[in-house]
Amino acid sequence: MSLLSIEKITKEYDGIKALDWVSLKVEKGSIKGLIGPNGAGKSTLFHLISGVEKPDSGKICFKERNITSLAPHERSALGIGRTFQTLQIWGNMTVVENIMGGMDRRLKGGFFSYGLWLPWIRRSEKEALKEAKEILDSLGLLGKWESMASQLPYGKQKILELGRALAMKPQLLLLDEPASGLTLTEIEQLSERISQIRQEGVTVFIVEHHMGMVMEIADEIAVLHNGELIAEGTPAAVKRNPEVMEAYLTRRNRNPDA
Amino acid sequence: MVEQKKKEFRKRDFFFLVPLWFISLIAPDPYLYHKKEFKKKDLFYLGAICLAPLIWSDPHFHHLMVLAGIYAILALGLGLFMGYAGQISLGHAAFFGIGAYTTAILTTRYGFPPFVAFWASALSAALIAYLIGRPILKLKGYFLALATLGFGEIFLVIVRESTHLTGGVIGIFDIPWFSVMGFSFDTYLKQYYLAWGVLVGLFIFSKNLVRSKVGRALLAVAASEDAASSVGIDVPRTKLDIFVLGAAFAGLAGSLFAGVMSTANPEAFSLGFTVLIVMMVIIGGMGNVYGPIAGAILLTWLMDILSKYQEYSLPIYSVILILLLIFFPDGIGTRLNVRVIYLIGYWAKKKKRDEGKL
Repeated sequence: MSLLSIEKITKEYDGIKALDWVSLKVEKGSIKGLIGPNGAGKSTLFHLISGVEKPDSGKICFKERNITSLAPHERSALGIGRTFQTLQIWGNMTVVENIMGGMDRRLKGGFFSYGLWLPWIRRSEKEALKEAKEILDSLGLLGKWESMASQLPYGKQKILELGRALAMKPQLLLLDEPASGLTLTEIEQLSERISQIRQEGVTVFIVEHHMGMVMEIADEIAVLHNGELIAEGTPAAVKRNPEVMEAYLTRRNRNPDA
Repeated sequence: MVEQKKKEFRKRDFFFLVPLWFISLIAPDPYLYHKKEFKKKDLFYLGAICLAPLIWSDPHFHHLMVLAGIYAILALGLGLFMGYAGQISLGHAAFFGIGAYTTAILTTRYGFPPFVAFWASALSAALIAYLIGRPILKLKGYFLALATLGFGEIFLVIVRESTHLTGGVIGIFDIPWFSVMGFSFDTYLKQYYLAWGVLVGLFIFSKNLVRSKVGRALLAVAASEDAASSVGIDVPRTKLDIFVLGAAFAGLAGSLFAGVMSTANPEAFSLGFTVLIVMMVIIGGMGNVYGPIAGAILLTWLMDILSKYQEYSLPIYSVILILLLIFFPDGIGTRLNVRVIYLIGYWAKKKKRDEGKL
């Protein structure tokens, strides 16, 4: 049984086909990579999965349930977490509040119970703070838990964004270029962390430009080119695929990894 | 000669420092707003509110502080919507007006007790906010501001034209004093405790909201709506909730206003009044529940002091507002203690600097 299945998705922008009849499956407990040259439609696919945009035709199923017409927050409530290509942390909050904000869907209680600060609200807030600190500890950010998130360096902000997505306890985690803008050591730490996340039972779907990293951690890789799915398989098989080589021909001169 | 000049400098600086230091003790600092727990300072504020009218027993002062308290309730609700959720509303005076007219009509036409009308005002303002908020809150930024502005104007037109219900431009007179179980708030002192009591209650409610899940969701919506929905925060719902809450606050404030002034006429709820409330929030400091209250007190006093100068009052008023915005862009309490420390450091190095050693 696959956790996420995308069936015959099509998306057009002003007559240009960003995605054309794409079908994909992400198996439960795996790490799936999605690669492709710039403008191949990778980010569009992520937007469609997380609900920021709606497909022109096709179907998206999560845990055997059709989620194509659901709003973004309803999809997150089902257990789809994501990070963004352009960093989207909440700079107007402290580091620990960013993590606690990520737990939003797990904290129950309405407006008035929070306003009146009922005893069980007090307890749940305390527990949330404790849990958030534990998450920060595992991310190595505990020393800065009270500083504003906007004051962290870029690399730490990316880690914080990942931590926020993890705080909502997702079943499927969409990572949109998590390694962009990071140093080499930070990328190594990141791939270790992603493997660790998988061991905790989270399925990871990752878009990445850094080929070395994707090839290393992914169980399966899909390749998009001009909105079409041109190859799918294990990293080794994808690497040997002649069509993929051709799609990356222009990039290969610049990036010896590809 | 040089010695003399230095001494003068020191005296003048000291003249600035003392009030600055004093304000820094009292005024809330928005830069520390992320430390959201209740602190000893809050007890100090509460004590000051309770004792101020007893120490300063001038009826004019009481009346002024009653108005400041009512405006502060209004600004508090708007502060949640503007400062936390990051939306703009220019129609807040309309909810204030709805509250005032609900109380006025219920008490004078149908003979309801003021206490019932008080809650009915909050409910009616909240209901109308819910009805118009659902379509309007899909707009963003300036479009939302324009839509709410339009709502405020429509409200004014309706009030002016439906003469049989609202008394048209003349308004409604002889609204009974606010009273609870036979206890009538008929002096300025009693009204002071009424308005500030309601304000303290609403303040605690708001502070509890902003230091918990609700406040985080609001700030998240203000910072990045995509990220907020990616962790399961229902963005439209969050905006609507806080809009309705702000309107309910405004309804309560309007009801108190009608009960204290015992009149309600459309002039009181015009665009100028909306701008005044927005100014209170901005001058006091956004993203902070203390700010709007400080702004409300400051502007109410400022208007009263300037009313002596009659035709010059408006220019002076606007110049003061501009200066405040230039020197305290994040609110009047902002980093005052940091400024004091900076000034002290400046003097400590002054001698060395004068001698050219630094």
